[in-house]
Amino acid sequence: MPSLPELQAAFARAVIDRDEAHIEEWISATPALDASARIAIYRNNVFGNYRNTLRQVYPVVLGLVGEAFFDRAAEVYVARYPSRSGDLNDFGGQLGDFLAEWPPSAHLVYLRDVAKLEWAMESAFHAADAAPLDLQALAAVSADMFSTLRFDLHPASRIVDSPYPILRIWEVNQPGYNGDQTVQLDAGGDALLVIRRDSAVELEPLSPGELVLLQDLAGGKSLGEAHVHALEAEPALDLSAVLQRHVLGGTLVAFR
Amino acid sequence: MTTHAERATAAIPARAGIGLRAPHCREIIDTRPDIAWVEVHSENYFGDGGQPHQFLERIRRDHPLSLHGVGLAIGSAAPVDRGHLDKLAQLIERYEPGLVSEHLCWGAAAGRHLNDLLPLPYTEEALAHVCARIEQTQAHLGQQILIENVSSYLQFRHSTIPEWEFLAEVSARSGCAILLDVNNIYVSAVNHGFDALSYLNAIPAAAVREIHLAGFDASGPCLIDTHGTAVSDDVWTLYRAAIARLGPRPTLIEWDTDIPPLGILLAEAAKATQILEHVHAIAA
Repeated sequence: MPSLPELQAAFARAVIDRDEAHIEEWISATPALDASARIAIYRNNVFGNYRNTLRQVYPVVLGLVGEAFFDRAAEVYVARYPSRSGDLNDFGGQLGDFLAEWPPSAHLVYLRDVAKLEWAMESAFHAADAAPLDLQALAAVSADMFSTLRFDLHPASRIVDSPYPILRIWEVNQPGYNGDQTVQLDAGGDALLVIRRDSAVELEPLSPGELVLLQDLAGGKSLGEAHVHALEAEPALDLSAVLQRHVLGGTLVAFR
Repeated sequence: MTTHAERATAAIPARAGIGLRAPHCREIIDTRPDIAWVEVHSENYFGDGGQPHQFLERIRRDHPLSLHGVGLAIGSAAPVDRGHLDKLAQLIERYEPGLVSEHLCWGAAAGRHLNDLLPLPYTEEALAHVCARIEQTQAHLGQQILIENVSSYLQFRHSTIPEWEFLAEVSARSGCAILLDVNNIYVSAVNHGFDALSYLNAIPAAAVREIHLAGFDASGPCLIDTHGTAVSDDVWTLYRAAIARLGPRPTLIEWDTDIPPLGILLAEAAKATQILEHVHAIAA
């Protein structure tokens, strides 16, 4: 007779790894359903839950590769990146990395970044709310102190940077899109701000300097340091215009 | 955040409520249909912010709320996920639910979560383990929880205790209440060949604080608890017997897959209300 930990470990191996050693002899069989068929019912439910979770988070990846391919990828993904939480909303964050390393999808070079974009959108959807930045306090900062300021990005903001045109790929794969489906993979990459200011998640393209500026600020650098770095990426960057856009637009929610 | 004073009372009435699902939130907020109370899956509100919380805050103003966990997997031999318990505690503090429930099941082993309601062996070892976990959970949350019987598709040979005795004993030893899922009793009774009424009659009436109703799938060699169809006639019959024995209890219609228009869900709840009121009338 197995102990509780032994039984559960064997059950998990039977369901996820299809290794039914021991477990069969611990389960009551009937003429209609033997132990293996009963385990299969659970396997069906478990993998069905994983698959549906991934389908809901990654509709564009699903559209790009098709249902059959996606479902096969989901099954292998589970074995390689098992669920680590009792909350299924935490499941699936490494699908992009998996698709880049899994031989059947590795040649679809843009897939990883499209998946990362969809995960960023999902995580932004559930991230914390934030009060807008205190504009009066910011206006009261003396000009010579401005470059020492450090800004916090909205907790529901993410930056996704790709050498592939992921915004265009995302747009032409939206339900209801009826235009030209052609995407030139060598058309240049997209840097995107993924942000949920109220309830809807939005995608906004970032210029090269803007990308560096926001990445540096998110990393805790001062505005002065971030500005110098951003100018290297985009010598013509208009700092005051960019700052205004992200302060008034709610990308930056606090400073110190 | 809204002030709690503007809210509906926390107490869940002995009437029929519905499982609140994302596709119906906007309609409920806009049309304010007559719904006695709502229940949500706790984990769907483990996120920090955004629309799910905006909607739930708004709906909580008008309705008592029950929190129903699907991911704590209280019978897992693996250590308790304290982060999960902390999030549940935060949710309780934020929304003041009238009831908080979990399942009599397990769900994770060796760091891997199966994210399903998996069956326990009904042994003295499992009983002691589950009771200790429930006590730990109730201490962490600072309140009583309800434990729900699950549908199952297999039985372990070394089980020594009938499920109904196991459930009654869990409640007696740990001090938890019971969420009696009448559909799950029916599904397991058919799948394992026991008498659903005997199960019902073995449950201590005073411990039952909520009832669940849902639909199952009967297309395969065994009934599957899908929450994807209307409640079956047999389950309504069993529900009438349950209410006759237990008295009126808060009753929830659950529908999680192939979610229908809100009206269909409300019609199912109205059927349950009719049965609850009929028993009231007889008792009066």
